[in-house]
Amino acid sequence: MSSKTWSKWLLILLPIIAGAYLLWPTYNYYRMNQERDGLLGDSAAIESWDLANGEDFAKARNARLKLGLDLRGGMYVTLEVDILKLIEESADPLSVDEDFTNILEKTRAQTDNTDLDVLDTYLVNFRASGKSLLQYFPLSSSDEAKGGDPEKAIEEKLRNDAAGAVDQAMEVIRQRINKYDLSEVNIQKQGARRIAIELPDVKDEKEIRALIQTTARLEFKRVMMTRDLIRTFYAIDNVLKGVVAAEPVVDTTAVDSTATAKDTSAVAKADTSKKNANPYAGLSDDEVARRVKRDYPFSYMLTGLFAQSEKSSFQNFDLILKKAEDFPEQGIYNFVVSGTILPQFLKYLERADVKRAIPTDLDIVVAARPEGTPAKDGTPEFYNVYGVVREADLTGDVVTEAFPSFDQSSNQPMVLMEMSGEGGERWAQITGANIGKRIAIILDGRVYSAPTVQNKISGGSSQITGATSPEEANLLAVVLKAGALKAPVKIIEERVVGPSLGEDSIRRGVTSSLLSFALIVLFMLAYYAWGGGLADIALLMNVLLVVAGLAGFGGTLSLPGIAGIILSTAMAVDANILIFERMREELYAGKTLKVAIDLGFAKAWSAIIDSNLTNILATIPLLIWGSGPVRGFAVTLLVGAVITLFTAVVVTRAMFTLIAASGATTFNIGQKRTA
Amino acid sequence: MDLIKKTNIDFVSNRVAIFRTSVIIALIGLAATFLPGMIDLGIDFTGGTQITVKFANQSASADQVRVAVGTIGYGSAEIKSFGSTGEYLIRVNETGRASEISAAIVAGLQTSFANDTVTLLGADNVDPKVSSELAFDSALSLILAAIIILLYVAFRFQFAYGLSAIVALAHDVVLAFVISVLFNKTGLLNLELSINSLAAYLTILGYSINDKVVVFDRIRENREKHKGMSLVDLVNLSLNETLSRTIITGVSVLAALLVMVFLGGDVLEGFAFTMFIGIVIGTFSSIYIASAFLIWYSDRVQHKNVGELHTKKA
Repeated sequence: MSSKTWSKWLLILLPIIAGAYLLWPTYNYYRMNQERDGLLGDSAAIESWDLANGEDFAKARNARLKLGLDLRGGMYVTLEVDILKLIEESADPLSVDEDFTNILEKTRAQTDNTDLDVLDTYLVNFRASGKSLLQYFPLSSSDEAKGGDPEKAIEEKLRNDAAGAVDQAMEVIRQRINKYDLSEVNIQKQGARRIAIELPDVKDEKEIRALIQTTARLEFKRVMMTRDLIRTFYAIDNVLKGVVAAEPVVDTTAVDSTATAKDTSAVAKADTSKKNANPYAGLSDDEVARRVKRDYPFSYMLTGLFAQSEKSSFQNFDLILKKAEDFPEQGIYNFVVSGTILPQFLKYLERADVKRAIPTDLDIVVAARPEGTPAKDGTPEFYNVYGVVREADLTGDVVTEAFPSFDQSSNQPMVLMEMSGEGGERWAQITGANIGKRIAIILDGRVYSAPTVQNKISGGSSQITGATSPEEANLLAVVLKAGALKAPVKIIEERVVGPSLGEDSIRRGVTSSLLSFALIVLFMLAYYAWGGGLADIALLMNVLLVVAGLAGFGGTLSLPGIAGIILSTAMAVDANILIFERMREELYAGKTLKVAIDLGFAKAWSAIIDSNLTNILATIPLLIWGSGPVRGFAVTLLVGAVITLFTAVVVTRAMFTLIAASGATTFNIGQKRTA
Repeated sequence: MDLIKKTNIDFVSNRVAIFRTSVIIALIGLAATFLPGMIDLGIDFTGGTQITVKFANQSASADQVRVAVGTIGYGSAEIKSFGSTGEYLIRVNETGRASEISAAIVAGLQTSFANDTVTLLGADNVDPKVSSELAFDSALSLILAAIIILLYVAFRFQFAYGLSAIVALAHDVVLAFVISVLFNKTGLLNLELSINSLAAYLTILGYSINDKVVVFDRIRENREKHKGMSLVDLVNLSLNETLSRTIITGVSVLAALLVMVFLGGDVLEGFAFTMFIGIVIGTFSSIYIASAFLIWYSDRVQHKNVGELHTKKA
């Protein structure tokens, strides 16, 4: 074999070897994963398997071709730092007045659906009001010492806080998520204010949602479940009464016929036995339910437990047809709301008119997770509803350390929490003044735990008991630790692809893609005979190299990426067809095989390069400005078009050259036998 | 096999009538899609919350689902289904707390349809702020891609060719869009305009420009080969010479896409359908839009003598 022939063989074989090498981890990963799954959750076997293969498995996993969330299932979340909340937080709470809130609200309205910089807009609005920043924001002692313009110093501090907020939030979220031993979580900074989180293989979606959604604003607030809270419930009823009825409800009778009708009708009956003044007496259950919902649009959602003292037993009660005065001022109250109506409940609480009806020192908050162990049979879950003192007694930044543990004596799970020196002193004051009372641990407005203070805690070291499972204690510890973060973030995009959809789409997508590809391969073979066979080899290489290229660059294959592969494959098919049609023309014109090959490639070349280059260049803006999915398309198209140029022109050509060099004078590319 | 013999079809004589008809259809169609309620913008572009659920036994009708969702407090929810797979898209015009809304809806549906198993296939929650950005970024990147195509084709061929390519591409995307919008109304496939379907339109663009470049390349080559031939004759000759390739490539790609339309599953079918019609249109537009515009532009704007068609017996 001559050196020229050798180099042609290398041109054909080297890319195949390289492609196979890059895709080997992918194959390996799926083989090992299957083997591991085959152990069926036998933890001892999995442990020994991990010990033997863990390193190889992790290596294969890192180098494999990753599938996008749209193909494999998982969660995608985009968070944005809430700069206004940050500003509100930085202000001295005692100085906050109506003007301050108005400026914030105005800025919120201006920036909600625009691209304006929030902090800049705020500062402009603030200056326009003619107020001084110093009036609301504390000047740090170091800035004070430095002298200079205090207004500038405060502005500078706000800017720094805003800039640092994303990194801070990212770090905390990463730490929180890492605790959950999730594989391949991808957390990325997007622009200056956003964080994109991709979570494939989410095992406990609910928990992760809770964790991501909670934005690490940890507060300790005293629980205030008094008659005032009940009064507030009724006040909210009054606010909502007219408003809610005016909202279009598609089927009001159906609204109450399912979840709530049972409770409320039972209460209505119980009431008739006690009092005669029941306005709902004699009405059908459905009608009663409808009217209860009309008259008590808020309170009907709640059911409560009540005890005179800690020792007396709890009794169930309902707020319908009662007055706040029916309930004793002193007592232990407990309210729950069903998970099915929780979104509605929270929506009401966010209404401006409802907020106004709540006393300024009170806040109504809901538990982050349902009471007890989650029900699997679809029965509604109940969330505790708390009244708390609005002003936080302590914020989470004083927490320095928190970890789950077990109580030595009872072996119950618990959480140990450490606080900084200054925080510990305040904690001692608070706990000392509230022995026997409850303090709610609130993260992002949702209650994770509301332990009762047993005694004054000095030295900053606390034990929180009451967790029903080690998992619960673990979550509480994570929550407490997350408290060090001051930056409030909000979810602006959330996508969940259920694993069943992911599985189904992979299976059907792969099957149909393979069938499509087989169809093209057969067609080329039928139409261009041996030439088609050579083109098929080049096509197979094309797809192999695109996929291998993606795996090699650590890219992700998503649905739009498949579109990119389809397009680049179509262009590779087209390139081969262009070449063959040209070769046929030359053969029909009576040229020899060698000349026809040379001319065929030479003449097809300009069309192939121009069409592929046009596409390659067109991907550039898509790569720069396109959003996620569009970029996914552009990446595979770019890789595909470059590889098409290589396979169609270099590889197919090398194969034809080898045939011509072997001394063949005829070659069947499907042309008519006689020219 | 060699199915397409050397042809000598007259592609150019009727070009004006066909060009006008096609452009008018595209424009009327485009105007019609802007009637209220015609374009089904996906959640990506409208913002809001969308939940996809599946009923294993397919026991629920869309109306029953609507009522059941209404009982949980989402009376204004939009319910959609495609085919008869027991799958429903439930769209709630509200953002935030997607996980709670979807959990409540799935639980509520499960209670209402106790005999069936309701699974959550997916939930999307997009803030209006994000969706307007997505729309802006998508439009920006598309326009820039078109400009780059124009520049490159103008550089490699002539400005008139680049302009013709852009006119044809715009025609292709508009027509494919109009047909998708209309077909979406049949409820057979989910062809909502989403960020993913954008990739399908980009594929149409890519395929179509490829097709045009092949024809232009032949014109460029024939211009050198047959010096003195009129533009009309050059175009017609080139279209005939590339016809075999145009049909073979088109048919093989369309066959592959057809497999995906029927077997690709929820995720690929709508995608493949849009590409399918787009590629049919793209192939047509290489002949009747791009080439026709090229002749028109050279004649009327550049005042070149484009000549008359001289058909020779092959």
